[in-house]
Formats: sequence, C-alpha cells, structure tokens
Amino acid sequence: MNIQSINNNQNNPGFKGIMKPLVKNAGLVAALAGSSVVAQKIVMSGSEAVVGPMIDIGVGKTITKITDEKDGKTNDSSKVQAIRTFSQSVGGTIVGVIMRLSCIALMTAILSKIGQSAGKLIGKEATKKDGVFRQIADTVVGDKALNAYEYEEKMKSWGKSTGGGIAVLIMLVTNFIIDAPFINWINGKMTNIVNNIQTKKQNKIAQNNASQKPKQANKEVG
Amino acid sequence: MAKENFIISILKKCNPDPTKAGNLLLNLNALGILFAAGSNTFAAAIDKNTSKEDKKFLVPAGAATGVANLGIYYLMTNRIISHLKNSAQKEINKMDTLTLEKNAKTYAQNALKKAQKGLFKKSEEYIKSMEKTLFENGSEGKITAKAIELYKDNVKAAGGVLGAFIGAVIGCSILTPIIRDVSAYFVQKHMKKSNPNITNDDLKHFYTITSLNNSLNSQNKMPLTMKNYMNYSSSQGLKI
Repeated sequence: MNIQSINNNQNNPGFKGIMKPLVKNAGLVAALAGSSVVAQKIVMSGSEAVVGPMIDIGVGKTITKITDEKDGKTNDSSKVQAIRTFSQSVGGTIVGVIMRLSCIALMTAILSKIGQSAGKLIGKEATKKDGVFRQIADTVVGDKALNAYEYEEKMKSWGKSTGGGIAVLIMLVTNFIIDAPFINWINGKMTNIVNNIQTKKQNKIAQNNASQKPKQANKEVG
Repeated sequence: MAKENFIISILKKCNPDPTKAGNLLLNLNALGILFAAGSNTFAAAIDKNTSKEDKKFLVPAGAATGVANLGIYYLMTNRIISHLKNSAQKEINKMDTLTLEKNAKTYAQNALKKAQKGLFKKSEEYIKSMEKTLFENGSEGKITAKAIELYKDNVKAAGGVLGAFIGAVIGCSILTPIIRDVSAYFVQKHMKKSNPNITNDDLKHFYTITSLNNSLNSQNKMPLTMKNYMNYSSSQGLKI
C-alpha cells in the first residue's frame, strides 16, 4: 500500500451520521463490540430467511411474466424453492449457532485452564531479559500480569476468535451429517404446512363459489 | 511445558485486537465461504454422473462462482468496516473531554451492572477487579484512563462489527443469489450447446435434487431452466 492510498484511507469520510446515535448508546456499543460469529450467523441467516424466499418468488413471477409461460411451472417451482430457502436458513441457523456456541465455550474453557498454568510461566519468564514470553508479557495472559476481570475478558476474546475458527472447520463435516437431513426434515414439515394452507384456501374459495351459485339462481328466478 | 509453549505460541499469533472485532467476523465468514465453494467445486469434480467434457466447464465455473462470491463479499465488507470504523473514530474525536468521560462512565457503569446480576452473573473477584480497573473510587467515582481507552476501543469495535453485519446481510442475502443466477445462466448455455440431443431425463441430476426425492413436488422436476439449476445449487450448496 503506497502513502497516497494510506492518506486516502485516513481521510475516508465514513458514513456520515450513522455512528452518531450509536456512540451515545452504551448498551448498543457493548452488544455490538461483544458480538461473535454467533450473532453474525443469526443476523445473516435471519435476513436470508426473510429476504431469500421473497427473492425466489419475485424471480419466479418475473420469469413467468417475461417468458409468458402459460402452465406456470416456474412460478410453482419458485414457491417450492422459497420454502427450501426458508428451511435452509432456519435449519442452518439452529445447527450453526449451536456449533459455534459450543466451540467458543469449549475453547474459552480450555484456554482459561491452560492459560492459568501458563500464566505463572509467563510471570517467571517475563522477569528474565531473554525470557521467551518477555515480548508478550504485557498483552498476553498471566495471573500475575492481569487481574481477574482483564484475564477473563482476554480469555473470552481468545475463545471467540479461536472457537469461531474451529467451528468453521468442524462445520465442514456437520454440514453433511447434521444440516442436510435436518434441513430436509424442516423442508418436509414446511411443505406440508404450506400445502395444507393452500388446500384450505382452495376449499374455502370452492365453498364460497358454491354458496354464491344458488343465490344467483334465486335472484334470476325472482 | 511443551503443551503450554504451544498454546502460548498460538495465543501470540491470534492475540485479538479489540478494535478489529469486525475484521475477525469478516475473515471467519470469508473462510466459511471459501470452504463451501471449495467443497462444491470438489463435489462437482468427483461426480460420476458428469462426463469429463462437461467437468472441464463445470469445475472452473464452480470455482469462478466461488471466487467471485468471495471476492465481492470480502472487498465490499472490508470497505464498509473501514468506513464505519473511521466514522466511529471521527465521532470520538469530536467529543470534548467531559463528554468522553461522561459516555465512558455510563458505559463502564452499565458493564458493571450487567456483571453483577442476571444469568451471566460474574464472581466476586471479577467484579472487584473490574471496579478497580474501571473506577478510581467506587462505581460512582471518577473513571480511570483504562476505562476511557476501553470505551474508545469498543466504539471502534462496534463500528467494525456493524459493518461486518451489513456486509454479511448484503453479501449472503442479495449478492450470492445474483451471482448464482449469472453462473447458472452460463452453465445452462453450455449444457444446451454441448449436448443438443440430450434428453431432459439425462440432465435431471445436473439441475434438480428433487428428481431424486419423490416426496417433493413433481412440478419441480424440470431440467434445463435457470430456476431448476438454482434449486439444485441451493439445495446442494454448503452453508457454513
């Protein structure tokens, strides 16, 4: 990166005003700053569960309109796809959140435990001029260097980064073993629910039509 | 001791900068997208139902889709994060000392209250050291320089995380389906060109997973349409 681009970056205008209400809201700052990959997954999949099916149905309608399709097969298949997108978002979020939370909790616990014994090591080594942990003594763990609050916060932070990374690796396997059948199960249930709603709607329309016909006939007779 | 040395070396490498929380989220999500795209491309490469000739097109197409998806998502989100972090820094710079101290105090008091009650109530030792780190004379007294630094760092981190969330929502809910559509168009074009006499039944496995699942709508068994390719790629696609 050259000096000009660094200068440009520093003069970056930012999104004017977007951060103004945020900096005053202590709760929101804490919630955002403390977010991990779990919150990101919920936000991402939550929006996908709402927007995704809408895009699917919209694309289906547009294709039907543009190609002037008479049988409406694309439109129907887009509805099937919309249910699938929704199921995928919901199922993916449930499994994803559980996996991420577990990995972060596990890594935080492991690092805290090992960090406590390693902390003593740092304490000793940091006092030596050529000690291996000398350069990291200020920033890294250490029951001597940091107090309980700082130590726990540091461990939480490490747990989030390492646990999040490990979760991504583990999910390469769980995606096939857990996600796929779970999403198919949700998809089956959702398809049944949507089909039942559609059948009820059609029955209601049919009933209304049937009840309107005798009335019309009576009027004509009258 | 070897175990501890190993852990320390990992910790040293992943020592998280609190202001870079947004970048961490971006990198982890990008890693997930990279693995997903890699797995999809690998699955296409080892698929026995696809001819070698078709693989020559489908595998690079799958890889290109993944690279485009990842590249656009990464560059866009990185830019948003950097903008929002700068914006947060500007807001901090605008504050006079009194406002900064007032905001930092509210932030520290909120954090302390949160640690004292609720489901995630902290230990006595934690609360005591928290109070000592953030306040000079109890929770109603003056705040420390460390507390002000913590507030500043967290405002910057909040800007970055907000940017990562915005990028993830735009990238995964809007950009991915569009890129998938464009990719599907080229795959469809190629299949039509290279297999003019092929029947629809022969092509089912390319486009629709529902051809293998009789419980789903039979109307979905319609190969050689962009929509069906989307059904296929979406249902087969990995989401990490």
